[in-house]
Amino acid sequence: MNECILVVDDDPEIVGAIAITLEREGYRVLRAYNGMEALDLCLDPAVRLILIDVMMPRLDGLSALIRIREKRNLPIIVLSAKSEDTDKILGLSMGADDYITKPYNPQELAARVRSQLRRYTSLGDIHAACRGHLIVNGRLTYDPDSLLLRADGEPVRLTPTETKIVDLLMRNPGRIFPAEEIYRRVWSEDAYSCENTVMVHIRRIREKIELNPKEPDYIKVVWGIGYKMEQHG
Amino acid sequence: MDTKWNSMDKDPSEALEQFVADQVREAAESVDSGVHVISVDNGSEGARRVRAVIAFLAFVLGVSLVLGSLGAAAGRLLAQRDGTEWWKDDWQETEAFREEVSSYLREFLTLGAGGTLSWYDTEVVQEYGYDATLWSAVSYEDFAVSGTSVPASEIPLDDPDHQYENDKNVLYRIINFDTLTKYSNAGDASLAVYHELPEGYNFLLTFQDGKVSIVKDDTALDVYGGGIYDEDSPWFVPGYDNFPAGEGVENVSVYMAVREMPVRYYTGDYQNGGYYQSSRMYYITQSIQEARAFYFRQTALLGAGLLCLALWFVLRREKKLADRRIASWTVHVWTEVRFLAVAAALVCLLLPSAGAPLDEVWWEIRYAGLYSDMLPYIGRALLAHLENTGPLLALVWVLWLIRNDHRHNPKAKRRSLWRMVSVHLPKYTFQKRANRRNRAAVLLACVLPAAGLLLTVSMNISPVHWLFYVLVVIPAAAAVLIWLALRKNAALARDIGLLSDQVEAIRSGDLSTPLDLPEDADLRQTAEALNDIQAGLHRALEEQTHSERMKVELVSNVSHDLKTPLTSILSYAELLRQEELTGAAADYARIIDEKAQRLKSMVQDVFDISKAAASQLPVQLERLDLAKLLRQTLADMDDPIRASQLAFKLDLPETPVMIVADGRRLYRVFQNLIQNALQYALEGSRVYLTLRTGAGKAEASVRNTSRDELPEGVDFTARFVRGDTSRTDGGSGLGLSIASSFTEACGGEFRAETVADLFTAIVTFPLAE
Repeated sequence: MNECILVVDDDPEIVGAIAITLEREGYRVLRAYNGMEALDLCLDPAVRLILIDVMMPRLDGLSALIRIREKRNLPIIVLSAKSEDTDKILGLSMGADDYITKPYNPQELAARVRSQLRRYTSLGDIHAACRGHLIVNGRLTYDPDSLLLRADGEPVRLTPTETKIVDLLMRNPGRIFPAEEIYRRVWSEDAYSCENTVMVHIRRIREKIELNPKEPDYIKVVWGIGYKMEQHG
Repeated sequence: MDTKWNSMDKDPSEALEQFVADQVREAAESVDSGVHVISVDNGSEGARRVRAVIAFLAFVLGVSLVLGSLGAAAGRLLAQRDGTEWWKDDWQETEAFREEVSSYLREFLTLGAGGTLSWYDTEVVQEYGYDATLWSAVSYEDFAVSGTSVPASEIPLDDPDHQYENDKNVLYRIINFDTLTKYSNAGDASLAVYHELPEGYNFLLTFQDGKVSIVKDDTALDVYGGGIYDEDSPWFVPGYDNFPAGEGVENVSVYMAVREMPVRYYTGDYQNGGYYQSSRMYYITQSIQEARAFYFRQTALLGAGLLCLALWFVLRREKKLADRRIASWTVHVWTEVRFLAVAAALVCLLLPSAGAPLDEVWWEIRYAGLYSDMLPYIGRALLAHLENTGPLLALVWVLWLIRNDHRHNPKAKRRSLWRMVSVHLPKYTFQKRANRRNRAAVLLACVLPAAGLLLTVSMNISPVHWLFYVLVVIPAAAAVLIWLALRKNAALARDIGLLSDQVEAIRSGDLSTPLDLPEDADLRQTAEALNDIQAGLHRALEEQTHSERMKVELVSNVSHDLKTPLTSILSYAELLRQEELTGAAADYARIIDEKAQRLKSMVQDVFDISKAAASQLPVQLERLDLAKLLRQTLADMDDPIRASQLAFKLDLPETPVMIVADGRRLYRVFQNLIQNALQYALEGSRVYLTLRTGAGKAEASVRNTSRDELPEGVDFTARFVRGDTSRTDGGSGLGLSIASSFTEACGGEFRAETVADLFTAIVTFPLAE
């Protein structure tokens, strides 16, 4: 498919490493080393996605992001060494579609690029068409009728128990379920020491739907309370 | 060179002398205390006391007697009051006797010359002028024993020597060959020849032809010496070349015999309203005897005193007990009283006599002032005061008591009226200032009654005025004073209130609003000082906050700067692993990747911990179930727990244990604790995870047996501390430190305990209601 990705970082080695990773995935890579270059190169219509560092000379990543947004509608992933929650929130609110902290895991990076591209290219119309029927949450779409969960448009293969858990969580995004309640509603029996059982299943689901199961974006533990499906835009 | 040698030689020898003296004194003191101990062992307490009393009495008596006797004797001697030549065996050899004899002679010559003589030298007339007024007389041999009364009418008026006729100590025969008058009381005795003198007379003076000759004890005396009269001449009688007998006595002969042992007698002249003491010779011997008795008495007293002192010297160590006892009494005496005692003793000593009336003192002072040439007299008089042995001894003993007190009682124990009063005097600046402002009121309060009293006494005012004063002036003044005091107190109370409010405000953290008291407030200075303290505190706090922020910023920047190259390392290590490497190269790549991963987690840990240490770790506090959180954490870590050789023993309550904390941070805490157990627990041992509640607290603990020996006295919550110090294992050494600081950031308490190889981490939170 040879989609073109613009990688912007003032560190050439990082740009190089990302380029290699992405080229192995089959993407074409444009390289920029500061914000101004990024502004020039993003005008190339072939560019489908931008990976941009925050702290750069001449023009920093967030300023560049705002100015790119004025010209083009395409997924932008911010890549930053700043790992604080506040930094992430700032980046996402400035218009970034995703936020990856350095040092990143190359595979996760590739997965996030892939995910963003899918939503941008092939799922754009699904969004619009099936809004009433499907439950859409970020990368995930769930069809309550057919009990089918898709991640980035790809169907996810779930066991019946996992499906029940996903059904419960997808129907109630943002609500926190104690393990006991999940157990009672999924297994239909009273629960004692169910934490491990529930956690095992949740971990399996995560491995199927999360880009980085160790730092899940969707099914999260609310420590000391329960579990919830994070609501994404 | 020589002098140098001398000086160098001298100093060491002096030092040596001093040293030896010190040694000897110390030795004496140690012996002294040794004796003291022995005496305690030997004699009973009572015996010791008796000895102490004896020693003390001997000391007091001895010193008193010696000083008293010496003082009295010295006073009498030095004051030269005692003209008596008491040391001479024969009273007839004394100056007093010779003067008496010459006095008799002058009077006899006057008699012989008919009372109108001008025979004496003009130069001595002023000094020795006399009036030969004669007395009619009644005579008694010894007025107390017997006497003869002669009726006044029988006294012959032409009997000029009636005064001497009854003289029992002097026999005389006066013959004027011109007028052929003759006076005598000698009766038949001619008195011309020594051998014919009556019994009991041993001194014969003969005046003939203007010359005096004396035979005493059958021996002729050399009367005139060189023939020229001067001050050293023994006899002041006419007949010298420069002191001739003069006119009128050329043909007068006087024979005069003196009794060896004079007797006392008395001549009365009652009709003329008096009597005449004429036993002058007797008083010379009498005063000699008196002086001898005095000096003998003083000598005896001195001897007794010395004996007492000897006794004291023998018992001198025993006396210390008494000294201490006395010191324990005298310590209570005020210093002022001591000064007064010394002064009183001095005054008594220096007064003419103890207890002399004040006007005598006044006269003494006036004379001393009027006649500056009396200074020698005053000096003599001062010395004579030594005779006042009472005041002298009083002074000595008062001084001794003071010295004894100073020797045995520390300065701090001494009392004085001034010290007692001064305790109540204001010490602090504020107090002084407040008192100063009260001074006018105090003065007024003193002056008003005093003025009233003066008015009443001095002007003898009418009762109406007095009533007016009492009923109007005093109440008015009192009202003014009270009003002033109240106004001042109100202002002071307000200021104190403001000040204490300000202190409270500062304590509760208000470091920005200073206290502003009026310029003239007593507490103004204090308020300003408090403001300075407040400002200083504020500045210090700001600086601390600033530096904390700088520190976190620094760590944040450093960790960011570390992350950038780390990103490249991790990326290329990953790429390297994807290459088809052969043999050892694959291992190398794996190792690089692993260590880079560890570096990544360490960088993140350091960043977190520095934020937590600076209290800048953002926490989202919410109510949560600690038991559930522990179960979730265990479930989350199920895989590594299963993979380990450890058995986890859980003791978690089924009921919710609600606390308020940040779940994500607390998850990190227990994750680290379990991680710690997995990493350092002995293989095959058990890890105990318990949660207990009680006393409003939830206490979670992770207990495991360490694989390695745990060092003692190590704070495991400090950064980079591990059970072993080699740092070859996988941990960053920050796990427990993060657990500790995160717990505290969430409002809990963290502590780590070790007993032998048993390691316990305890997390405590207050229960949420």
